[in-house]
Amino acid sequence: MTVRLKGTERDVVTIRWIPKYTAMERLGHWLHTATFVPLAITGLILYVPLLQSLAQGQAGYFIRLVHRITAVLFGLLPILYLIIEPRRFIMSIREFLFDKDDIGWVMNAFSYYLLGRHTAMPPQGRFNTGEKMNGLIMCATWVALGVTGLVMWFGKGAVSAGFFQWMVLIHDLAMIAAVCMFLVHLFLAVAHPLMWAGLVSMRFGVTSAAYAAEHHAKWYYGPKRARQLYEEAKKKAAS
Amino acid sequence: MAKAMLIDVTKCMGCRGCQVACKEWNDLPAETTACLGCYDNPENLSPITWNRVEFYEYEQNGQVNWFFRPVRCMHCLDAPCVRVCPTGALYKHELGFTAYDESLCNGCGYCTQFCPFDVPRLKETTFLGKGKSSKCTFCQDRVPAGQVPACAKTCPPEAIQFGEREELMEKAQARLAYLHNGAPRPFPEAVLYNPSGVGGTAMMYILPENNPGRFNLPKDPSGAVANVWQKIIQPLGEVALGATVLGVIAAFFVTRRNIRMEEVE
Repeated sequence: MTVRLKGTERDVVTIRWIPKYTAMERLGHWLHTATFVPLAITGLILYVPLLQSLAQGQAGYFIRLVHRITAVLFGLLPILYLIIEPRRFIMSIREFLFDKDDIGWVMNAFSYYLLGRHTAMPPQGRFNTGEKMNGLIMCATWVALGVTGLVMWFGKGAVSAGFFQWMVLIHDLAMIAAVCMFLVHLFLAVAHPLMWAGLVSMRFGVTSAAYAAEHHAKWYYGPKRARQLYEEAKKKAAS
Repeated sequence: MAKAMLIDVTKCMGCRGCQVACKEWNDLPAETTACLGCYDNPENLSPITWNRVEFYEYEQNGQVNWFFRPVRCMHCLDAPCVRVCPTGALYKHELGFTAYDESLCNGCGYCTQFCPFDVPRLKETTFLGKGKSSKCTFCQDRVPAGQVPACAKTCPPEAIQFGEREELMEKAQARLAYLHNGAPRPFPEAVLYNPSGVGGTAMMYILPENNPGRFNLPKDPSGAVANVWQKIIQPLGEVALGATVLGVIAAFFVTRRNIRMEEVE
């Protein structure tokens, strides 16, 4: 697609859109957001002493009710997605596995995200290392929050008090990890100047070819070609 | 200033006057119960039974022992329930007991799970199943007004004594000295139950022997997990969440500045 800005004679941007996420992936992602955020808010009301007044009496009753209703949806979502798109689910899980390029990503993440230097970044797949870490934390905390939450919901009196107490502690720790990860994820999605394309692709399912080539080379070119281009770029930078 | 109760198991005669007085003063309805095959009745504490006399019958050195203990909230001085209560419904009263404001409770039930003595009970509600907590309040509507708690007021053998904690400690020592030798029926192993794991309790017991388990009391009650949660994980989590928020905001400005400058170059 060629875009011509008003009042200029030259073409400024050429964008070729390529599909990145299926409709179900996007729906799953946004429903996950729509359940995660109310869960975090209602949970934090019980957790943060500053919000104590919201947790008291009838308001607290309501908050606990909202927390549980959304918890059911939050827990069922990944299972529903697995049923609807099982092959895609397994493919995504494979893409989430870490490899040695992820180490290079972590080493360069600081200068990349804060200073905007992307030359040294090793090639990334459909998900970059940060997204993989986000995925790992979200999966692990989904399991932890789900298991401990079910015990806290149905286990009162059925399990020993000591076991219950540790479940509450683990629920809190998982919440802290998940919410911290979420905040970073939110920042990169909506506020980071270089990452605008991520939000576009999660909204519309597509990403520009130029962005994919630069940020997700292993996915765009395939691992071999991406490696070759990366080595060439490194040599060029060194000379 | 701290008030306390001293309950002498060697004096209690199991009349259940305290059980009745508690119900009467706190306007708690009677329970429908069944014969359980022992003297205990009702079967357990409940949202409408905050105080209940337990019966213990056992043989020791060829002698039959039969003791009674009024079971209710221990009013721990360092109360785990108060630590974990997210609403402030449970709080330490300035007079030393664990007071309770039911209007603030949201029924989360943490107090029932973190109480080392298994005392608080949750009411039933629709939707969430479990509702507001309830437990002995140390007659929080009598004591600050200078009155004696209903149970202590009614106790015929004065097995339940109410007063200043310091004075009751002294009385307990004197009573123990008497029980160890001097009493018509001596209890050489009688002890004061005032466990340090929860900072001591405002509900203290004189037990006929140093075996709390015999009287359904934990040997070393503690709020250790409650403390790990509230003193370590809670502040740690707040720091982690706060640092992430600040970090993200700082990163936003740093990024915007650097990447704009890059564009200028």
